[in-house]
Amino acid sequence: MTFFKKPKKLIQEKEAPIQQDSPQEDNSKDNESVTVQKLSLDEMLTKVKEPFSATEDLLTHEIELPSDKSRIALLYIESIVDKQLVQSMILNPLFVTDKEINFASFKQMASIDLKKHTEIKQVQELLLQSNTLIFTEDTSCFYAMSTPVKTQRDITEPDNETIIRGAHEGFIENLSMNLALVRKRLKTPRLTVKYLQVGKETHTTIALLYVDNICDPEHVKEVDKRIKSIEADAVYTPGNIEESIEDKPFSFFPQMLSTERPDRVAANLMEGRVALIYDTSPTAHVMPVNFFSFYQSVDDYNKRWHIGSFFRFVRIMGFFIAMGLPAVYIAIVSFHFEVIPFGLILLIKSSLEDIPYPPLFEALLMELTIELIREASIRLPTRIGSTIAIVGGLVIGDAVVKAGLVSNLMIIVVAITAIAAYIVPSNEMSAAVRILRFPFMVAAATLGFLGIVFGFLILIFHLCRLYTFGSPYFAPIAPLNLADLKDAFIRAPFWKQNTRPKDVTAQKVDNANHTRKWDKS
Amino acid sequence: MNSHTITHRQLFFLVVQTQIGVGVLSLPFSLFTKAKIDGWISLIIAGLLIQFSILAIWKLCDRFPQNTIYEILPKIMGKNLGLVFNFIYTMHFAFISILILIMYNSIVGKWILFETPHWVIIFIMAAAGYYFITSSPREIVRFFVLVTPLLLILFVFILYAYTDVHFLYLFPVGQAGILTIIKSSSDAVVALLGFDVALVFLAYTTGTPAKKIKVISFASFCITVLYAFIVFTTYIYFNPEEIVIVPEPVLYMLKAFSFSIIERTDLIFLSVWIISVATSFISYLFITAKGVQTLFKLKDHQKGAPYVAIFCAMIAIIPNEKLEVLIWNKYISLTSLIFSAMFPIVLLLIAMLRKKQEKGAASS
Repeated sequence: MTFFKKPKKLIQEKEAPIQQDSPQEDNSKDNESVTVQKLSLDEMLTKVKEPFSATEDLLTHEIELPSDKSRIALLYIESIVDKQLVQSMILNPLFVTDKEINFASFKQMASIDLKKHTEIKQVQELLLQSNTLIFTEDTSCFYAMSTPVKTQRDITEPDNETIIRGAHEGFIENLSMNLALVRKRLKTPRLTVKYLQVGKETHTTIALLYVDNICDPEHVKEVDKRIKSIEADAVYTPGNIEESIEDKPFSFFPQMLSTERPDRVAANLMEGRVALIYDTSPTAHVMPVNFFSFYQSVDDYNKRWHIGSFFRFVRIMGFFIAMGLPAVYIAIVSFHFEVIPFGLILLIKSSLEDIPYPPLFEALLMELTIELIREASIRLPTRIGSTIAIVGGLVIGDAVVKAGLVSNLMIIVVAITAIAAYIVPSNEMSAAVRILRFPFMVAAATLGFLGIVFGFLILIFHLCRLYTFGSPYFAPIAPLNLADLKDAFIRAPFWKQNTRPKDVTAQKVDNANHTRKWDKS
Repeated sequence: MNSHTITHRQLFFLVVQTQIGVGVLSLPFSLFTKAKIDGWISLIIAGLLIQFSILAIWKLCDRFPQNTIYEILPKIMGKNLGLVFNFIYTMHFAFISILILIMYNSIVGKWILFETPHWVIIFIMAAAGYYFITSSPREIVRFFVLVTPLLLILFVFILYAYTDVHFLYLFPVGQAGILTIIKSSSDAVVALLGFDVALVFLAYTTGTPAKKIKVISFASFCITVLYAFIVFTTYIYFNPEEIVIVPEPVLYMLKAFSFSIIERTDLIFLSVWIISVATSFISYLFITAKGVQTLFKLKDHQKGAPYVAIFCAMIAIIPNEKLEVLIWNKYISLTSLIFSAMFPIVLLLIAMLRKKQEKGAASS
C-alpha cells in the first residue's frame, strides 16, 4: 500500500512550487556553497535541459525530502527510462523507510547503482543512456542511476522488411521502446520528440521526431499543423493518420514512407526528414519523401557500393517491368506482331494459337490468380501458406497451360511481373505498382503502343506534379538535381554521399562525410 | 506567380522539346520536293533566320519583363487593337496545336493504328494535353527535362543508318540554285517552330536577360543541327529518286533496320516520337489556354483548359482526306510563319517606335 500512497506525496510536491522558498531558508548552511556555485537548483536544471531544445520527453520531478526538508530533483528521459525502476530504486527508499532518512544516508544505501558525477557535460550523455539523474541543493555534483526500460515484446526483425546484412531490429507496439530504438541510433541532444494526441476518445499518442538543427522547421510546422487539424473521435491505425495528412488522397502512390525499421527512420531523420512514431503500432512514417526513398533499402548501404548500385538499379527496373511488361506483351501480340524478331514469331504463334480468348483476358485472369494466391498466403499461417504456394503456383500454373486456357508465354510474363513487383523494399509502393499495371494492360489492349506511351506520359507527369509536404515527389529527377542522383538510381559510395538531398531543404546541406581523408596524403 | 517560375536552364529544355515535334518525320521529304538534294542547306539557312525572330521575341519580352504576349499586345497597340491581336494570337496558337494533332493523327493512323477511328487517336492526345496544362509551367517543364534523354534514343537509331550511306548522293552541292534553296527555307522554318512559345514562357523565366537569350538561341541552334543531321542522313541513305516516293523518309529508313531483338525499329522510334509530339502539343495548348484566360478574364488558365482541349480536338477531327490534311498543313504553316516568325519583329519595331516599355525594364 505504501507504494501507492507515496506517489501522492510526490504530486503534492509538484503541485505546490510556491512552497519552494521555505527549504531555501532552512538550508542556511548551504547558502555559502550556493554563492560559490552561483547556481540554485532551478538554475542548474534549466541549464542542464538547455541542449535538449524542446523535447518533451525529458522530465523533471522535484521532491522535498520529509526528513530535512531539502529539495532534490530527478531528471530523466521518460521514453527510455523504466518508471517502475525509478519508483522502486529511488523514490521508495527515500520515502518508505523511516522518516529519519536524508539524502546522505540514501546515498550510502544505494551506493552500487548510484554514481556521483561532477561534470555537467556528462549530463546529456547520461540522460541519453537511460539514466535517472538526481540533483540536490548542492549543485556542484549530481548522481546518476541506470534505469533502462524493459521491452514489451521481443524486438524482432520486421517480416515485411527483412534484410541480409545490418541491424535486425524492428519497432514494436510500444512508443517508448520505439523512441528508444531511434534514440539508440541518434545519440544527439538535437533529436527532438514532440508528443501529439489525436482522437477525442482514443487519445492516440503520436511522437513527431526530427533533428532540430538539420530538419527544415517548415516541415515540422506543416506536419504538426496537419495532425492537429485532425478531428475524430477515434484514430485507430497509422493508416488513419496517413490518409488524413497526405497531400493527394486520390493518388495511387504512397506519399509517406511506412517502415518498421528504426535504422531506416534514423537515417531519414539525419537526412532532415520528419518521422511519426505511433503508440501501439510498429509502423513509423517518414516525410517528406520522394519516389526513390521507397527503393532504398538498408541492405544497399551494407553491400559494396557497386553491388548496392546494381541492385538499386535492378529495383528501379523492376518498377517499369512490373508496370509495363504485361502491357507491352499484350500490345505486341495483339497489335504489333511485326516487332517480334523473325526467330521468335513461330514460337509465339504456336503458343498462342489454341488460346480461345484475347490476350487481355488471359492476362487479367492470371494476374488476378496471382493476387488471390498472395492474399490467401498472407492470411494463413506459414505452414499452410507453403501449401497455397504449391497448389497455387505449381498446380494451377501447370494445369492452366495444359488445359489450354492460358499460353505458356503469358505464364512467364505474369510470373516475371509478379516477382518484379515484390522486389520493392516498401510494401505500399509494391501495392501501388501492382494496381497500376491493370490500367496499363487495358490501355495496351485498346491502343497498343500508343496506349502504353500515353499511360506512361500521364503516370510520369502525375509523379512530376505530386508534392509531399511541399517537396517534389519525383526529385531528384524532376526537378533534376544531378548531385542527388547519387542516391537515386545508384548508391554512390559513402565517401561520395557528402550532401543531404536538396528536396528535403535541410538546414545543413553538408553532412560532413569526409571519411577517406587518410587517403589524400 | 512565384511558385510558377522556371529557371533559364529549364527554358532551354522547354524550347528544345517544343521545337522537336511532328516536323521531324516529314521534313526531309518536304524539303526535297522544293530544294532537291540541297534541302539540308535550306534548313541551315532557316536555322539562321529564326535566330532573328528569336532575338526579336527576346527583345520584345525584355521590354516588358514578366509579361506574356497577351499582356504586351494591349500595351503596345492600345486596348482595342490589343484585344483583337490577343484573339488572333490565341487562335494562332490554337491552330498550331490543331496542326500538331492533325499531323500526329495522320502519322499514327498510317504507321501504328490503321483501324482505330481517328477521333480516338486525337482525343487521347487532347485528354493527355488537358491533364498536363492543368498544372503550372514549372511542373510541365520538369516533365520536359525528364523526357529529354529520350531524344538520345531517336538520335542513336538514326545514327545506325551510317552503316549504309552513300555520300555521293549529295553531289553536286547547290544544284538547285541559291534562290530555290533560300526560298524553300521557309518550309524549314515551319518545322523549326517552337521558339515562339518563348513569347509566353519568357514571362515565367527567372535569370538575367543575357542568359535567357543564350538558352533560347542555343536551343534553336541545337535543334537546327539535329534536324540538319536527320535530313542529311536521309539524303545520303536514300537515292534521290527514292525520296520522292517516301513521304516519311526517317521511318522508311528505320523500317529497313532490324536487330536480333527488335524487328521493326520504326515502331519503337514512333513510340518515343509520340512523346516529343506530346511535349510540343502541350506547350502550345498551354499558351492557348493562357490566351483564353486573358480573353475571358479568367482567374487562372485551368478554367479554360478543358474547353481549349476539346475545341482543338474537335477541329482536328475535321480534315479527313489526305489532301485535306495537306491543305490544312499548308495554310496553318503560312499563318505560323507570319505570326510566330515575322510578326514578333514587327511588334518589336512598333514597341520601339512608340517607345513603349515597362518601367522596370532596362532601357535598350
